[in-house]
This record gives sequence, C-alpha cells and structure tokens, in this order.
Amino acid sequence: MDIFLQLIVNGLLLGGAYAIISIGLTLIFGVVRVVNFAHGELLMIGMYAVFLASQQLGWHPYVSAIPVALMLFVTGAVIQRFVIQPLLKADPHIQIFATVGVSTALLNLGLLIFGADVRQISPGFGAESFQLGELSIVSGQLVTFLMAIALVGGLHVFLQRTYVGRAFRAVSQHRYAASLMGVNVDRMYVYAFGLGAACVGLAAALLSTQYPVFPTVGSYFTLTAFVVVVLGGMGSLYGALIGALLIGLVDSLAGYYISPDLKEVVYFVIFILILVVRPTGLLGLGRGSE
Amino acid sequence: MIPNLRHPRTYVSLLVLSLLVLVPLAFNSPFVYHLFVLICVYGALATAWNLVGGYAGQMSLGHAVFYGVGSYTAVLMTINFGVSPWIGMFVGAAVSAVLAVAISYPTLRLRGPFFALVTIAMLEVVKLLVVHQGNWTGGSAGLSVPLNIGLPWMIFREKLPYLLIAFGFLLATLWVAWYVRQSRLGFYLVAVREREDAAQAVGVNTTRVKIIAAVISAILTSMVGSFHAMYLTFIEPSAAFSLELSIQVAMFALIGGLGSVAGPLAGTVLVLPVAELARGWLSSLGSGTHGFIYGVILVVVVLTMPRGIVGQFGNRVRGLVDRLPRLGTITEPKVTSQLHHVARPPQGEPILKAEHLKKNFGGLKATDDVSLTLHSGEILGVIGPNGAGKTTVFNQLSGFIRPDSGSVTIAGDGGGWLSPASPNAFARAGVGRTFQIAQPFSGLSVLENIMLGAFMHTKSRAEAEQIAREVADLTDLSALLGTEAKSMTVGGLKRLEVARALATRPKVLLLDEVMAGLNPSDVEKAIAMVRRIRDSGVSVLLIEHLMQATMALSDRILVIHTGQVLTSGSPQEVVTNTEVIQAYLGKGYESAKPGAGGSERQDRATKTDAIRVQDGKGYQSAQSA
Repeated sequence: MDIFLQLIVNGLLLGGAYAIISIGLTLIFGVVRVVNFAHGELLMIGMYAVFLASQQLGWHPYVSAIPVALMLFVTGAVIQRFVIQPLLKADPHIQIFATVGVSTALLNLGLLIFGADVRQISPGFGAESFQLGELSIVSGQLVTFLMAIALVGGLHVFLQRTYVGRAFRAVSQHRYAASLMGVNVDRMYVYAFGLGAACVGLAAALLSTQYPVFPTVGSYFTLTAFVVVVLGGMGSLYGALIGALLIGLVDSLAGYYISPDLKEVVYFVIFILILVVRPTGLLGLGRGSE
Repeated sequence: MIPNLRHPRTYVSLLVLSLLVLVPLAFNSPFVYHLFVLICVYGALATAWNLVGGYAGQMSLGHAVFYGVGSYTAVLMTINFGVSPWIGMFVGAAVSAVLAVAISYPTLRLRGPFFALVTIAMLEVVKLLVVHQGNWTGGSAGLSVPLNIGLPWMIFREKLPYLLIAFGFLLATLWVAWYVRQSRLGFYLVAVREREDAAQAVGVNTTRVKIIAAVISAILTSMVGSFHAMYLTFIEPSAAFSLELSIQVAMFALIGGLGSVAGPLAGTVLVLPVAELARGWLSSLGSGTHGFIYGVILVVVVLTMPRGIVGQFGNRVRGLVDRLPRLGTITEPKVTSQLHHVARPPQGEPILKAEHLKKNFGGLKATDDVSLTLHSGEILGVIGPNGAGKTTVFNQLSGFIRPDSGSVTIAGDGGGWLSPASPNAFARAGVGRTFQIAQPFSGLSVLENIMLGAFMHTKSRAEAEQIAREVADLTDLSALLGTEAKSMTVGGLKRLEVARALATRPKVLLLDEVMAGLNPSDVEKAIAMVRRIRDSGVSVLLIEHLMQATMALSDRILVIHTGQVLTSGSPQEVVTNTEVIQAYLGKGYESAKPGAGGSERQDRATKTDAIRVQDGKGYQSAQSA
C-alpha cells in the first residue's frame, strides 16, 4: 500500500512537470491553431540557457526563470512573425513542415553548439528530497507541480480579465470576426506564440533542477506533451492540466506494474485511441481535430 | 501500362535517370557510389511516401515504421530461417501491408497535424515494442546481417551491384507512382484530398481509395527498407524506426513538389548531396551540421516555394522537353466510345422513393415524416422558406445524412429497389447530386473535374475524357475545359457541379440551388440546361429559391415547411395554395394569389425573382421601405 501511495504521489508530481510543458503547447494551438512541432526544441533552448546561466553566472535555475521566459517569449514571437505568419493561409501540411523544419534546425543547432553530451546542473534546492510521513518527495517536483497549477490559474485570469486575453479568445473562435471588432489578429498571434514559448521557458527553469539537458531533450518531452494535450483536449488549459496529471499517473503506475520500457506504449495507445475515438479530448474540452 | 517511349517526356526522363548510374561509374569512387545508392534509396522512399502524403494528402510522419518492418523482417528471415532477402522482402511487404491497413483504417478521418501525430505515435509504439521484444529482435542493441556474399543474399564486396539494385528499386517505385498518377486511382486520390464530400458524390469510395494508397506506399517503403538493411549490414530500432528518417523522406517529397511523379526524386537529388557533403566537409564543426542544413532548407523552401521545385519550375521544363521531337510516328490510341447508357424505366414510373423520413438535430425536427416520389422523366421542384429543411431532405436523398427512421430507395436496373448505405453507393445506384456551395476540385481543370464523374463507369482515361467532353457540351462548358476550376465564375462553377454529376450517368439528378446567385443570362442558360438534361432522360429533383425558374421548369412542386410536406401539386395549384402563401409571407397575405385581381402586392408575391422573405415581418418591412 505504501508503494502504491508513493506511486500515486510520484505520478501526480511527474504530472506537474508534464503540465508545465504542455500549457504552452495548448495555448499556442488554442489561439493560433498551429500545432507547434518545434515545441520541444524551445524547451531545449530554455534548458541550455538555464544551464549556461548556472555555469557562467552561478544563478540558481529558479533565478533564471524570468529572464529565460523573456528570452523565449522573443524566440516564440520571432518564429510566429517570420515563419508561421506568412503561412497562416497555407495548407495545414505546409504549416506542419514549417514547424518541423524549425524543430530540425534548432535541434541540430543545439547539437552543433553543445555536442551530444548530457549536462546536469547541481542546484542544491530543487534536487534534494524530503520525507513527509512515509512519503518521499523531491522538492523541485513539488515546486514544479505548484507552479503548474499557479500558471493555469494565472493564465485563466489573464484570458478572462485582460484585453489581450479576451482578444486571444476572440481570435481563437473566429479570426475574421475578431479582426472586424478591431483586434489586430497578427499581433495577437505573435503575443500568443510568445506567451506559449515563455511558458516553456518557465518550464525549462523548473525542470532543470531535476533533468539533465541534451540536444534531444525536447523530443523526449514533446511527444508526451502532445499526448497530454490531445488527452485533455487541444486548446484547453484545464484539459492540459488534467491530462498531464493522468499521464503522470499512467507513467508511474504502468512503469511499476507493467514494465518500465512499456509505459510509453501504454500512453501512446491511449493517445491514438483518444484521437480516433474522441478527438475533442477525454472531457470534450478541446477543439477537435477538424 | 508502359509509358510511351517515343514521347520526349519519357525518353528524356529515362536519359536523366540513367545519370544516376553513369555518374558514379565515371567517378568510380566509393564515396560517390555510396552517395548515389543513398540518392536511389531516399528517392524511392520519398516517391513511395508521396503516394500517401502527396497524392492522398495524408501527412504521415511515421513512414519509417514500414521501412523498419521491411528491414527487420528481411534480416530476421535471413538470420533465423536462412531465407534470401529477395524472398524476405516480400514477407516484409506483406506484414507492412497488413500494418498499413491497421493504421490507416481507424485514422482515415484525421487530417493534417492530427494524422501526423498519430503516425508518429504508431512509429514510437512499434519501436518500443521492438526494443521490448529483445529476445528475438536483438532489442536496442540491434542485429547484424550475416555476411554471406553473393546475389542471393544481396551482399556484395563491390558497391556497383548495390547501386544497380537500388536503381532498380527506384525505377520500380517511380513506375508505380507514374502509373497510379495517370490512372483512375490517381484521379480519385486527388479528389479525396481536395474535397471528400464531392468525391463521395461522384461515387468514390473514399475509405477504400485511401487504404489502397496507404497499402501500396507501405509495400514499396518496406521493400526499399529490406534492401537498405542489406546494404547497411546492421540494423537497430533507433535508426530503422526513426522519426528523423520519416521527416527526411517527407521533406524530400515536399521540397521536390508534393503530388507530382518526379518531385520527390528531384528533391532528394537536390538536397541529399548538399547535406551529405556538408556532413563530410564540416564534420569538424560538429555532428549536427547536416541536420541543421536540412532544417534550414525546409523552412526556406516552405516559405519561398511551397509547391516545391516541380511546382515552381515544372511547367517550364515540361515546355522545353515537349519541343523535342517525337521518335517515329505515334498512333493515337483509338477511343471506342461505349457510352454507358442506363436503361430507363418507361416515362412516369417511380424511380426514387423516400418514405417517412425523419431526422432530428438535437431538439430540432429538421425532417418530420417526409415522403416523396420522383418519377422518371419528370422535374420535381422542392420549395420552402429558408430553414424549412429542404437541404436536409436533399442530403438524405443522396446518402450524406442517414435518416433516423424511414427509407430512401432507388429503382435498380433489374427492376428491384436498391437502398444504398453510403453517399458513394447512392452515386453508384444512379443518384447524382450538386452542392449548394459549389465544391469543385479546385486544383484540377474543368475537364478533369468532369472526368472524375465519368470514371464511375469506366476505368479508361480516354473514355472518361470522351464522356466528359460530351457532358461539357450539354452544360455549356466546352469552351472552358482547360481552365482550372479555381479560376471560374460562380455561374461556371454551378454548371460544373451539374456537369460532374451528369458525367456519372445518373438516373436521378438532385440539384441544390444551382441558380442562386447567378446573373440573369446565366439563369437563362441554366434553365435551358435543366430542360436539356430532362429531355436526355434524367429525372430531376430541384431545390430552388428562384421562383420563376422553379415555376417554369417543374412538372410538379413539393412544398416543405418546418420539416414537413405542406402540399404538392402542379405549379399552378401550389401557387394558389393558401397555406403556401402563409408559410412564405405570414398570415394576412392570403389574398396574394395570382389571378385573383392584379394588385401590386400580388404581383410581388409571385413574380419577385427570389422570395427570400422568411416571415410576414420581413415582407412588411420590405413593403414599407
């Protein structure tokens, strides 16, 4: 029973990590309606930035969070402005190729600059674990989990209360109708992509305490992020949070009870089933796969 | 089956292709041989991918799964059973074909990024399973191919035999791609890619067509995979089932030009050597160089020429090549027109029957117990105010919506009654339809659009073309045959809708507002056209808001209001029916009967071109205005 409880806690905390990565992906899809295949590479850039800040300047990853998020905001905005925006009216497969191209280029750029070595930060706080009764909890995981919930809450308030947030929602529902209401659609897209990327920057800082960085670290996380987002419903913030927690649980339980090397098979199968049977996500919160 | 060798396009293509063998022979260096083997392998993979990704428009990013299955099957058969890869590759192809059906059937509905995501997930699942089943797959460590040198084992000391075999695979794949492209299947794939509904309406079984394309592509990919494993003499899951490979293959096809025969190879020839040379020269910089170049090229191509090399330069090159002489005299194949004339029941017999159709959308009774019968040789007009449920009935008559209860039956050729189960089965049973919002296959020419309809009764391209030309004559489109559908006017598009439906040689033609939005001269053309169609023996059911046209054309009129049949009868009877006037104009306008006194209001009620007034209020405000 203790093991089961520990597995549940591990699963939920892992879910927090998946959530923080998925939020940006679902935000970008929800507003810009582009599936960003380069999402993982944004994470990779963020993690290398955190690594460099730690190595060169001695910053704790949590200190780097804000500057890295800003840096990724700019990166995301640039990708949207110069790659996605010219292709908004193009066929979906052209958009896929564009983000896949960005992903390939960035991944290999990482490889060129940093080599294939796995690099790990030893941050002190964030890496150690503490006991809570019988349970063992890694402090960084708990921080990530809490930040994921805070981020969803914060984005919710932002989307409901601010002009830009309302504009995001309007643009996501009908691009042209929103432009008729005086919303600058192109600018909103740039903001949305930037904001989504900034969320990834935050994720990079939080995850750097627990995960090493290497050029393909993004691919490792993106596929899971796609599973999470599809499970929760593409474009839904709450869906991403719930989906992430579910996948975290599946990961933790399947890894223990089935086999560590088959846990991914389990959630990829869930992913395929959801897309085929219920494209709006488990709770029907999403935009579907039309 | 065989491209005409005397045609300049064919012999030039073959000459250019032969360079893939001649150039390495001239250089005679191992690196050049290796490079050209790679070009042939990747060219073949990209060409095979193009059948699904380009022709059918299904963006697979998991195609390496078939490549991996081909590699592993051939190698495992050699290791465990001593079977030659020449045989093993067919076993691998069979496994891949089954896998292709298993993957594509449930995912047919998905489009764009979602299909791509599922294919990636499938690839990951298969890769993880291969790693997991380490006891017979070698797990993540991979497998070495036993080095039995000789042709039966596809293992050679020299590079030349590899090159020749790779070239053979490339030629075979290109031939399949060419054959599919110019066949009926090729037309159907384009139709499905462009507009699935319209494809159904001309009798295309969209499910079947997509699966066939997926299977052919999987088989070719798998066989190339088997060969490539023998060439590499070592396979491992992370290389055989790699996302990177899937992306590269798709990328070559895109850069060359999606959907064209030559594109994927052109893309490979252009990009692969650059990246490979960069890998050699710039290796001191780091291991990511060639991948970085791939990524940058991909983004630049997508931004600057999304239709790829062939889309950009294809026409110019074709123009140059076509100036070359044809070799010898070419005898055009004779087209023996065996136009499919459907046996029609005698005039006035029932030909389509709808009985007690009911359809609810949530709480809305869109169709509430509608029955109707269409007789051969008649024009039945269906009218009703906006939102009355005409189009819903229409969609049930053509199979696009399944009624909740009730039945639609069509008189079969043998005298029995058919009740088809899908839109394409309705089309094949003899129900042609148009769409209220025209749905042309916009990338195709007018002629090709009509041919898509004609293919329902013939596999022969020449015959389809002949039928298309005849139908174009009937629908005033002869002058526009070469035009791309996307550059047509509304009037032309509406006639094209009719032509495409007519080319399927229907017994019954369902016309959904083919005159809406036309200018007066186009309306006249359309009225004359519908008459000609009826006179050629096709029964017509027409939904139309244009009252004059409906009244003039229809032998009988059926009025639908709030999902129910209000009344039916001759145009005269319907026009004077009090309930009909109420339905259109609201209470208080019952006196608006034609012939009951000639007041201005009456004239408007019957002669207004399009009565688009939804209720009495709208009419009143129109009057007071």
